[in-house]
Amino acid sequence: MTAIETNNLSFQYGKKPVLQNLTIQITQGDFFGIIGPNGAGKTTLLKIFAGLLKPQQGEVQLFGKKSDEIPIKERAKLLSYVPQENYFYFDFTVLDVVLFGRHPYLKQMERPKKSDIDKAINALKFTDALEFKNRSVLELSSGERQRVILARALTSEPKILLLDEPTSYLDITHQVEIINILKKLNQEGITIIFLSHDINLTSIACNRVLLLSEGKMIACDVPAKIINKDLIKAVYKIEPQIISSPDSAKPQIILPS
Amino acid sequence: MIKSKSWFVLVILLLVAIVLSFGLGPSGFSLSDLSIPIQLRLPRIILGIFAGGILGLVGASLQGLLQNPLVDPYTLGIASGASFGAVIGYLFGRLGVFTVPVFAFVGALATMFLVYNLAFVKGRITKISLVLAGVIMSFLFSGIVMLLMVWTQKPLVEIIYLLMGRLNVVFTNELLVSFIVIVIISIPVMIYLFSKWRSLNVLSMNEEVAESLGIDTQKLTRNIFTASSFLIALVVSFTGAISFIGLCVPHIIRMVYGPDHYKVLPLSFLLGASLLLFTDLIARSIAPIELPISVITALFGVPFFIYLLKKKL
Repeated sequence: MTAIETNNLSFQYGKKPVLQNLTIQITQGDFFGIIGPNGAGKTTLLKIFAGLLKPQQGEVQLFGKKSDEIPIKERAKLLSYVPQENYFYFDFTVLDVVLFGRHPYLKQMERPKKSDIDKAINALKFTDALEFKNRSVLELSSGERQRVILARALTSEPKILLLDEPTSYLDITHQVEIINILKKLNQEGITIIFLSHDINLTSIACNRVLLLSEGKMIACDVPAKIINKDLIKAVYKIEPQIISSPDSAKPQIILPS
Repeated sequence: MIKSKSWFVLVILLLVAIVLSFGLGPSGFSLSDLSIPIQLRLPRIILGIFAGGILGLVGASLQGLLQNPLVDPYTLGIASGASFGAVIGYLFGRLGVFTVPVFAFVGALATMFLVYNLAFVKGRITKISLVLAGVIMSFLFSGIVMLLMVWTQKPLVEIIYLLMGRLNVVFTNELLVSFIVIVIISIPVMIYLFSKWRSLNVLSMNEEVAESLGIDTQKLTRNIFTASSFLIALVVSFTGAISFIGLCVPHIIRMVYGPDHYKVLPLSFLLGASLLLFTDLIARSIAPIELPISVITALFGVPFFIYLLKKKL
């Protein structure tokens, strides 16, 4: 089944075209990577998927329904969006913040119920963040914060998870940790759409990759078909070496020295 | 869950404020003659609870909505926008007792949206630009109010009370009726603000996250601005513009009870009410004449504001 589908989608900020004529299909259960140089339109595309921006041309379909015809609280139950920059303004506890993920399920004045708290606790367990559930979110390290933010996204029980560079501020230990959590979620059937500058990480994690450049789709295929010398050279203007990972045979990029 | 204890302390504080406000005054207090406390001090107490509570509640709502520790009805210019509207209504309106509140509402609402739009610099709104825009409009409207009042030869004392607040309203029967009507219509608006506690909590994360969780942030902003302007206009049309209560109260509540708006909104109402009654007690007892409220609130409010400015932004 198709999770997200766009048909000839274009978007512009003012007169500046950002995305042009994108036709993409993301199947349910995909671990879908989006890569491309700065300014390629990756974040804009993710925000359009999340319903935060409205394309001027073409439309987004979620599970076969027009996205902008789905009420926003219903859409919030289908997909969770994790932006690159996450900040907290007040010193809520970790558990409070994770419970925010239940917002679309609660009525106007309703307090979170026992069942909502259980779901938040489970999400914290899943991302291995339960031990700091009572700490203030302002006191977390980057690695801890990212796990809490993932737990918040999971508490909405989404079918699709949209992530904007979830590993960008993390060291390799924490990068691998986050990728492993995402893989585990993917195995449970959640469609992951993952945007990153890290081509190697994308290659290891994703089963399909979209390569964008200047708002246009260059290619969309399995990692081995995207991460090759010619395409990378054409898009990123460097002379990379591509080797195949000894343990998984997935393509890995080596920068020219 | 709000613990009963937390309500309790603030309720006691408010009761103490009410009892003191009822008992203290130049003509003293004796059980044999309650006419002065009931005729003069009781309306003042009710007005104080109404005004202080609304200032606290609106301050908490706006700080949560805009995620800005420096905003309140005064720093955003809504209070002086309402004063401006009130003066126009007072001078030119011909709509009976509700003229002043209606004009104050228009003034407050227009100022709120004007300030919000002025604060956008290169498509972004910053904490400082918002307050700067508010202060600028505040100066402008205070100046115009002053000018209009002098032109029309109103006593200076009235101008000062309008711009700096007071609770010593002389309630004629007509005014009392309009006050009661206004309190009644403000209740559903206050309940609306209370009802948005969870949205305000979620907004303390990234605004886009809030939207992706199903909150229509534009609509929420519009509604909270409108509700806040409405409530502040009602307060200003009786008491004039009172500074700093709306700024300090939510901070104190968050320091003691944490950031959950489920507690912050109602408790800010309670503390705002008590604080205004205490301030009023001071304003009417330390000098031979009654001081405007903002003279006293500025004395504790300004150091607090400086502290916030230095602490974080």
